[in-house]
Amino acid sequence: MATAAKQTTAPVQHDEDLLIQEYGYDDHFHEHHEGDKYQSNFISTYIFSQDHKMIARQFLITGIFWAIIGGLMSLVFRLQLGFPEESLAWLKPFLGKWITVNAETGMGTLAPEFYYALVTMHGTIIVFFVLTAGLSGTFSNLLIPLQVGARDMASPFLNMLSYWFFFLAGAVMFFSLFLSTGPFAGGWTAYPPLSALPQASSGSAGGMTLWLLSLTFFVISVLLGGINYITTVLNLRTKGMNMWRLPLTIWAFFVTAILALLSFPVLVSGFFLLIFDRTLGTSFFLNEIFVGGQALDHVGGSPILFQHLFWFLGHPEVYIIILPAMGIVSEVLSVSARKPIFGYKAMVFSILAIGFLSFIVWAHHMFMSGVNPFISNFFVVFTLIIAVPSAVKVFNWITTIYGGNMRYTSAALFAVGFVSMFISGGLTGIFLGNSAIDIQMHDTYFVVAHFHIVMGVAAFFGMFAGVYHWYPKMFGRFMNETMGKIHFWGTLIGAYAIFWPMHYLGMAGVPRRYYRFDNFDTFSHFSAMNQFITIAAILVFACQLVFVINFFRSIWVGKKLTEKNPYGANTLEWTTPIEVPHGNWPGKIPAVHRWAYDYGKGGQDHISQIVPLAEGEGDSGH
Amino acid sequence: MGHLDYATAKKVVFKGLIILGVVTLAEVFVALFGNGHIIPGFYVHKLIFYPVMIALSLYKAYFIVYEFMHMRYEVKGLAMSVLLPTLLLVWAIIAFFQEGASWGHRREVVRQRNMEPVEEVQKAGDTGMLDERTYQFQ
Amino acid sequence: MATDTALDHHSDVQDGNLWEGAKEPFKASYGKLMMWYFLLSDAFTFAGFLISYGALRFSVPTWPVPDFVFKTAPFGVDEAPLIFVTIMTFVLIVSSVTMVRAVQEGHRENKGGAAFWLLLTIVGGASFLGCQAWEWNNLIGTEGMTVTINPFSSHTEAGVYLSGEELEKAGLQKVEADAHGTTATYYLQPGKQDIPQNRFFVKADHHGHSLAGTEFAIGGHYLITKNHDTHLYEFGAYKSEEDGQIRTEKFGPKAFGALFFFITGFHGFHVFSGVMFLTIIAVNVASGLYVKRRNGYEMVEKMGLYWHFVDLVWVFVFLVFYLL
Repeated sequence: MATAAKQTTAPVQHDEDLLIQEYGYDDHFHEHHEGDKYQSNFISTYIFSQDHKMIARQFLITGIFWAIIGGLMSLVFRLQLGFPEESLAWLKPFLGKWITVNAETGMGTLAPEFYYALVTMHGTIIVFFVLTAGLSGTFSNLLIPLQVGARDMASPFLNMLSYWFFFLAGAVMFFSLFLSTGPFAGGWTAYPPLSALPQASSGSAGGMTLWLLSLTFFVISVLLGGINYITTVLNLRTKGMNMWRLPLTIWAFFVTAILALLSFPVLVSGFFLLIFDRTLGTSFFLNEIFVGGQALDHVGGSPILFQHLFWFLGHPEVYIIILPAMGIVSEVLSVSARKPIFGYKAMVFSILAIGFLSFIVWAHHMFMSGVNPFISNFFVVFTLIIAVPSAVKVFNWITTIYGGNMRYTSAALFAVGFVSMFISGGLTGIFLGNSAIDIQMHDTYFVVAHFHIVMGVAAFFGMFAGVYHWYPKMFGRFMNETMGKIHFWGTLIGAYAIFWPMHYLGMAGVPRRYYRFDNFDTFSHFSAMNQFITIAAILVFACQLVFVINFFRSIWVGKKLTEKNPYGANTLEWTTPIEVPHGNWPGKIPAVHRWAYDYGKGGQDHISQIVPLAEGEGDSGH
Repeated sequence: MGHLDYATAKKVVFKGLIILGVVTLAEVFVALFGNGHIIPGFYVHKLIFYPVMIALSLYKAYFIVYEFMHMRYEVKGLAMSVLLPTLLLVWAIIAFFQEGASWGHRREVVRQRNMEPVEEVQKAGDTGMLDERTYQFQ
Repeated sequence: MATDTALDHHSDVQDGNLWEGAKEPFKASYGKLMMWYFLLSDAFTFAGFLISYGALRFSVPTWPVPDFVFKTAPFGVDEAPLIFVTIMTFVLIVSSVTMVRAVQEGHRENKGGAAFWLLLTIVGGASFLGCQAWEWNNLIGTEGMTVTINPFSSHTEAGVYLSGEELEKAGLQKVEADAHGTTATYYLQPGKQDIPQNRFFVKADHHGHSLAGTEFAIGGHYLITKNHDTHLYEFGAYKSEEDGQIRTEKFGPKAFGALFFFITGFHGFHVFSGVMFLTIIAVNVASGLYVKRRNGYEMVEKMGLYWHFVDLVWVFVFLVFYLL
């Protein structure tokens, strides 16, 4: 043992192979997988792949596709909000009948119902397709087997199905964009009666049907993935990888999967009841309602019931989005600062605490929609408690960087940016969590600013940190650092420029989801601010194009990965070969002897998890 | 599994059949007794016999999970990892039911208010509009 | 915090090295774990439905009385509250027991035994579905309950049902009108047009026997029967004990019918897909597929978990729809 520990000072690469050979754990994988049937041809390698790394790349690229679509949608409605007097006729070739061009003046106006459709689709796409599937789908798939030391997911087949159900969900949603009545336009929360009555608005007809179908497929995808992630973390950890040696990324993905497993089914039950209301005339969510002066036959239901079912998913969903980002950021910050993560156990317990609390606070989204004020009191208290584990995490990230030997790579910058965003957005969350203040803030731009910063931009920052950091593991090349830094600074400054002014709009009472404000005396003096926000949004989107170009360009021309462990990280994914084969390790699976954060221990820069403990050396994780 | 030998396990199964059957019969008996079907004209208050039926059902659920689904013979951690998350539903049940009762209560308030006679407050010559000065003060 | 899943895993860290990696900490294969966690998520789907049921039920003042709604059984049995559904429950419990036996035989690698007990389970599941089909057919066809109409309700005041003569004596006019090709008889308030609220009928049970003269108290339950000739619901006319006014009965809360068909239907769908899977697995067992795997027929065991879960859900469906 002592000799092995000494060897770590010698050149690293050779050593790790030796360590794996000497201490590794032989699962006789390659004896069973001669002539690999999984990667025998193009289709099984690149399309219906059962390899977790390929599925991760599929999730990521599909996520990027949807992020571009969702981002473009936001630009269109930002143009409408910032420049309501300008002509949008140039968008006619793309949006067709949704732009009405005045024959005399040549002024092109966006159809108001399409504005709502854009807002709705932007929310749905970014929340579900980009920040759930694109973030947790990508990195859970990539990192869980690699970091726990597994050959693949517990069930590679279900994992493949998970991606393809996601693809199907996306295809259906994409199709709904081209319906003559337009996609669903009642907000991403799909509150009845707009979602329950096909005649309620143009998007409530076929658009809503496809929306429900698409999200049902999506839930199937999430559940297939989630069950896989949980069982993989539980059952397939390599020798020595006990729960306290798991990197924080894995803890985050693990709890995320648990949240998804428990919350998405409740959304499905709400969906099924909604489908009944839409098709069979039942009244689960509808009570005495008039459409066009005509009394409908519905009686006895409650739209608030759907809101409860929706937010029972909806709030855990917020953490399904942010927890993976938190895990990625913890790992990236620790590697970049060359310091062990501060308060590893506190981090784990705060992830668990956030996971638990997310299930008992859902009605804080509904203070103003008619929830009984008595029950609201409890929701306020539970909500404010979430600030405690969140603050623990923030302090731990800051103390991890403090005194560190920080390497400001693009990934590290985005990780730091995440912490900044999370603090800014988290603080406004404390305002909104109070039902008394929420009376003023509810459904204003304050809310828009809050959740965009804390779960939109912050989660994106976590995702970018992950992409820059693990890109070499995914594609065998590095992304361009200069472009990465341009991307970071543009996005950081731009995102604050977009969302910081929105707080002031919100405090002045400017309501969200309005088509235009210039005809309100109260709000018309904000037009300059709205223009500023729109310009900032366009610039931020341009920065994202830098990222997209960088991403796809680097696949072919990026700097090649020449060593196994370019960052000097401790986790297991950096012990795999540069070209990671199916099954991840060519021979034995490495055995784990220590936690993932031995940086700067005993005068060594880093000690990989596979290095056995020296005599008398304690494992810091325990 | 494998914790009991085959003969005992077989016996446990048929014992389970009898237990579940008897508990179901007991539930139905309690329901009929409480609703006055066994002794005509004799009713039990809901708050007394409903909890009995809920308790019996929970026992049945416990028995199915622990015996038929072999949870008793699994590692404790597995049992807890499956059973404890269901406790999250406790708060959901409290909140949803409280909400349901609140909707019913508010509908009743609206119904009663609608039945109240409308008071005549308009004076002669009053158009029902607010005085113009009221706007000016804002 | 103790309620969070992942935390509890650590209680096991002390007792043994199950959590040290390269082992199955729960001593269960990944397939079995996945089945458990799938069932957990499915339980949350059902919980979503049942909790919605509770919320809607708490929001209405009256709710149909189950031992009145579910009192018919096949072969003309009419006044047997809850008896048929008790039989259905037994069928499901027995099929659960045969499933346990199939799992046990599987553990002994006894191909014939496992196949035999699986077959019995399939028969049990199919019988349950048959019973449910009869029950639905009876509720829809005979009683007239649908997802939008709930003819079952209970009285909010005491009174007595009136006969045709009494209605005419009270000043209502007897009208005979053509409805769907047959003649319907009803009573109309003088000067009122034929709108549903103004129709009065002589109360009859669904065999057509007149119930005129029957007295009832507050909370007494009733069924608005559908006249199969006219396809109209007959709202029985009664005289209120309190103020002597003549009124008609009202439909019960709509949510009852919708929730009943939806939740029992969703459960029935689980039973149906269970029967399908059981059939596939029974064929696989009989063909000797699992003999080769040498894992004690784990597929049968996983299927067993699913099947018991269906039984488990029924415990709660039975509780909330038929008992409470």
